[in-house]
Amino acid sequence: MNRKKQFTEGLVTNNPVLVQQIGMCATMAITTTLFNGVGMGLSVLIILTCCNVVISAIRKMIPGEIRLAIFVVVIAGFVTIVDMLLKAFVPALSEALGVFIPLIVVNCIIIGRAEAFCQKMPVKDSFFDGIFQGIGYTVVLIAMCVVRELLGAGRFGGGLIDVSNGFRFTLDGTGAGIQIFPESYGASIMSLPFGGFLTLGFLIAAMQYALKKSEEKKTKKAEQEKEAEK
Amino acid sequence: MLSSIIQISLGAILINNFIFSQFLGCCPFLGCSNKVDTAVGMGLAVVFVMGLASAICWVINEYILVALHLEFLQTLAFILVIAALVQFVEMFLKKMVPSLYSALGIFLPLITTNCAVLGVVLLNVQNNYNFIESLVYGITGGIGFLLAIVLFASVRERVEFADYPECFKGFSICLVSAALVALAFMGFSGMAIPV
Amino acid sequence: MNKIIRLALVLFAVSAIVAGVLGVVNALTAPVIDAQKQAKTAAAFASILEAERYDEIDFSNPDFPTVLTVHKAGDAGYVVTSKFSGAQGNITMAVGVDNDFKCTGISIIEHAETSGLGANAASTGDVGVNFREQFVGQDESIALSNNGGSIDALTGATITSRAITEAVATSIWAVESLG
Repeated sequence: MNRKKQFTEGLVTNNPVLVQQIGMCATMAITTTLFNGVGMGLSVLIILTCCNVVISAIRKMIPGEIRLAIFVVVIAGFVTIVDMLLKAFVPALSEALGVFIPLIVVNCIIIGRAEAFCQKMPVKDSFFDGIFQGIGYTVVLIAMCVVRELLGAGRFGGGLIDVSNGFRFTLDGTGAGIQIFPESYGASIMSLPFGGFLTLGFLIAAMQYALKKSEEKKTKKAEQEKEAEK
Repeated sequence: MLSSIIQISLGAILINNFIFSQFLGCCPFLGCSNKVDTAVGMGLAVVFVMGLASAICWVINEYILVALHLEFLQTLAFILVIAALVQFVEMFLKKMVPSLYSALGIFLPLITTNCAVLGVVLLNVQNNYNFIESLVYGITGGIGFLLAIVLFASVRERVEFADYPECFKGFSICLVSAALVALAFMGFSGMAIPV
Repeated sequence: MNKIIRLALVLFAVSAIVAGVLGVVNALTAPVIDAQKQAKTAAAFASILEAERYDEIDFSNPDFPTVLTVHKAGDAGYVVTSKFSGAQGNITMAVGVDNDFKCTGISIIEHAETSGLGANAASTGDVGVNFREQFVGQDESIALSNNGGSIDALTGATITSRAITEAVATSIWAVESLG
């Protein structure tokens, strides 16, 4: 399997959120600060990779009739492990994401990848699939956070970046972020549900526009080559 | 007791609507809302399963998980219960009430991965609701979902005839319209409920 | 029939393995999580009313359904924790009350308020710190500035601010009811 192709698939052409349009609840709910977005993205990436590897490793032992039940059990297991680890070592993140961490169980990305990819593919490919799809998901979350945080609170990197004593990353969610314009000028509606739906809607539109443009370019090029041959 | 039930119901249906303020159940909300008929079917199935799941999971949590100090298995146990429940409801309806099955049938399997169902069960535990409160929260949360999806399906049927840029086609314009409906629901967020 | 039993056994085995792994992870993380929680509550208590020790006292007054616990903070006064509904979900908050029934500070332990609006009540930024400082020294007549008091609300809608203000007043009354 071609890693480069897999990478572009996860990030662009088969992006879980923008193209497959799955796993949207969390995408819209928690993307109010960069800290939440990065935390959620990485959690999903880790869970997705682990589930992909395990499911792919045991794929020959799973009876077809109950495969979905087994996928769900494996996924719920990893989700609970990550949930407990976050509670113990990154409590700020676990508090900010709340019920959306256990809800990763029903995030269609993970069960979708298990059904569509891992149950047929060897462990190594599934591992990279998990990483690339996870990165694709994380990138979308980060994009959502950056837009919503900037428009909503005039800030960049809330919770994750602290600039009061020189630039540093805060992993306990206490950093105030970089204030780009005063918070009171922000449209705080962007951090409310309205902003979540709207931002994702525009992101998908931008993605569709870009994909269409590149498609047109390709067909144009092909036509030109045809003409030249003639 | 009565006041807490009214508070929970109004909260779940309007103020903290599962979709427009908590973002639970967005996938089926966007996936099954292209026609009002489908939306009603999906919504009713969700009310049914959310109510049942809340009741059953409360009992399991209280008398098995908490009693045996196995709270860390909550997520695992709940999702298995919901999956089994959905399967069971499907078989039951198919045999006993075929007319209802033909109306709801195709939506039932989709509900297993509806995060509103697992969400309501987890929130019941988080909010320390008792049996009645959990049941009420489950049913009214489902009604909130039903209200949201039916309203939104009506909006979408109209959007189909609207003239919008081509790159917004499909999910994109859907999300933008959903944003506007969410904006309308924000009007409820200031509503104070006397305790 | 054999097939069903085989399927059930496979599913049972997988679930048992997962549950076993979870049990191990839980045993490893549970003490850390507990310590985190305790440290957090202790820090919250110390930030609002400093004392050598906090002793929980029995408080079960049906007039105060929102009050969770009352701790006696040495001779300095009391710390009351309460759980009440905010704009989005429940807020759990600790309030320090001194012997003159004045608020010595508030600390929000848990909340689910709207990020960027009501959530600022708990933030460590200037907005949150300034908001919480307004409560220091207030007595039971505390009110929002819209209602003739001196507390400036966080947002125009005042839902979170009002809920917190009312809960502070309730906490003071709860301490007064102790006599």
